[in-house]
Amino acid sequence: MKTVTIDPITRLEGHGKISIFLNDKGNVENAYLQIPELRGFERFAQGRRAEDMPQITSRICGVCPVAHHFAATKALDRAFNVEPTSAAKKLRELMYMGYFIYDHTLHFYYLGGPDFVVGPDAPPGKRNVIGVIEKAGVEVGKEVIKHRAYGQKITAILGGKATHPVCGLPGGVSKGLNKDEVKDIKKMVDSCIDFAKFSLKLFDDIVLANKKYVDLILSDPYQLATYNMGLVDKNNKANFYDGLIRVTDQKGKEKAKFDVKDYNKYVEERVEEWTYIKFPYLKSVGWNGFTDGKESGIYRVGPLGRLNAAEGMATPMADKEYKRFYETLGGKSVNSTLAFHWARLIELLYATERAKELINDSEITSQKIRNPVGEPGEGIGVTEAARGTLIHHYKLTKNGLIDKANLIVATTNNSGAINMSICDAAKGVIRNGKIDDGILNLVEMAFRAYDPCFACATHTLPGGMPLEVDIYDHNKKLYKTLKQNL
Amino acid sequence: MKTIVLGIGNLILGDDGVGVHVANEIKKHINLPNVTVDEAITGGMNLLDLILGYDKAIIIDAVKSENSENGEVKRILLSDFATIHSCNPHDVSLSEAIEMAKKLGEDRIPKDIVIIGIMMKQIPCEFGEKLSKKIAAAVPKAVEMTLNEIKNEV
Repeated sequence: MKTVTIDPITRLEGHGKISIFLNDKGNVENAYLQIPELRGFERFAQGRRAEDMPQITSRICGVCPVAHHFAATKALDRAFNVEPTSAAKKLRELMYMGYFIYDHTLHFYYLGGPDFVVGPDAPPGKRNVIGVIEKAGVEVGKEVIKHRAYGQKITAILGGKATHPVCGLPGGVSKGLNKDEVKDIKKMVDSCIDFAKFSLKLFDDIVLANKKYVDLILSDPYQLATYNMGLVDKNNKANFYDGLIRVTDQKGKEKAKFDVKDYNKYVEERVEEWTYIKFPYLKSVGWNGFTDGKESGIYRVGPLGRLNAAEGMATPMADKEYKRFYETLGGKSVNSTLAFHWARLIELLYATERAKELINDSEITSQKIRNPVGEPGEGIGVTEAARGTLIHHYKLTKNGLIDKANLIVATTNNSGAINMSICDAAKGVIRNGKIDDGILNLVEMAFRAYDPCFACATHTLPGGMPLEVDIYDHNKKLYKTLKQNL
Repeated sequence: MKTIVLGIGNLILGDDGVGVHVANEIKKHINLPNVTVDEAITGGMNLLDLILGYDKAIIIDAVKSENSENGEVKRILLSDFATIHSCNPHDVSLSEAIEMAKKLGEDRIPKDIVIIGIMMKQIPCEFGEKLSKKIAAAVPKAVEMTLNEIKNEV
């Protein structure tokens, strides 16, 4: 058996490693994504003050500090038996929209976008944000920088630093908005709405107008018919900050809808010996190995999962885009992994429209921003991180210290699907042992679409070879190494 | 001449937080109006945002290196890295961020960017607030090198 190892994964610069196993004919037998998970969180959290969790967990990962901050805060609302004030909920959600604006912008233009805008066959040295700017123009580049920064500024105005928010407290938030801040945010939000519309237009012009790309999106190796999961409001419209968890099947029919407190009744976690990562699946369907279809309990979260799990977007322009998305890609559910990118842009538009509704809400300057907490107990909180459903679960001692803590992060929810997507993409493009850099990029694209979030902190010296491909013969002896310089 | 000293790292991930530990020490040693000392848990674009407008940036960070000893401290220039991995997977590298900013006509990029790297074979994956013995022992050396770096310019 030959082994192909892509290590480390370029652009998504965690410690992730893709291993592709070939049979003796040089065709893909299996593929795995291995991510060393951060360990020891429960022990680390035990005995700490519960109120510190929103700050501590926002440091877990440099990728989604805001998502962790609010998943923790919402778990504490419940653990302290307190309902936040109406104004506090709106302030939190507004900040959350700021986070979606910068995070989705970053992913589309810097990380995922290069594959489409520059092209999947472009040389690796061009497949980055600089290549995007060369193709789309310097003016576009400036808009990208500006609106990513706006998203961060909105987050920072509401939450302190964008990278370590400090505003979430059980029962509310620590800081309200004054009139000047409202004025600043309004201006930024209006500009962000135009930017989101522009981004969708860019996607139309560059991707949807190009038959080759549309064919790639709809091509077999990138299809995965799993269940889908995401938060919805009372009208089953997608929501990022709050709501019930809804699961739909491969045809878009509701499979389950539940409050996060019942998570354990619906979802089970599978353990495999080759990785620390757990593979969640729907209990009612069961584990059927790494397969898709009705009989397999694997589900997807994130932009595509959320759109599939909902029945529309709660704002008018995004809802129109939502409908167009399904009309263009052949109805519900859309199972193409590469459609994550388009879904992400529709969500960007929703986030900007929702931010506008919130900043124009008369209650947004209210100073009733916190309710008094009750007795400490147990609480589970959920938010939609940019990359999918995120759950924090705490049990407190009677003195308000953490007794037990458990987190289920978005990338874990997607872990089964990510593995399958990599395997399918590899099968589609590696045949008879023929492997070149362009081919490997097509495999990485399957993985990048999910915008997965790894453990923080990978620095490599000397750099130079961020992509390494080791090919082993059937005796597992290295006979060839391909290296890709970025 | 405006200088920023940035300690990078995650204080709840053991040795990964060493840059922040060093920055906190630096704060005890200097108090100059034209030198800013700060910490960050970020890379790439966010890191670039933090250093814009300064003449010189000194970045103190844990660096994964298989060919160095744990706790070795090295002065590294940005150009010495063919790639600098940002501290999180959802971002571009600092070099990429700088190259892009240049392309867009950004004129506030520091002329001088120096990295004080604390070498380690492995970046930890386990939560904890303490530095390991060898990395803790490297802190004074990293502090000294950073202070020299500041002095050279002031």
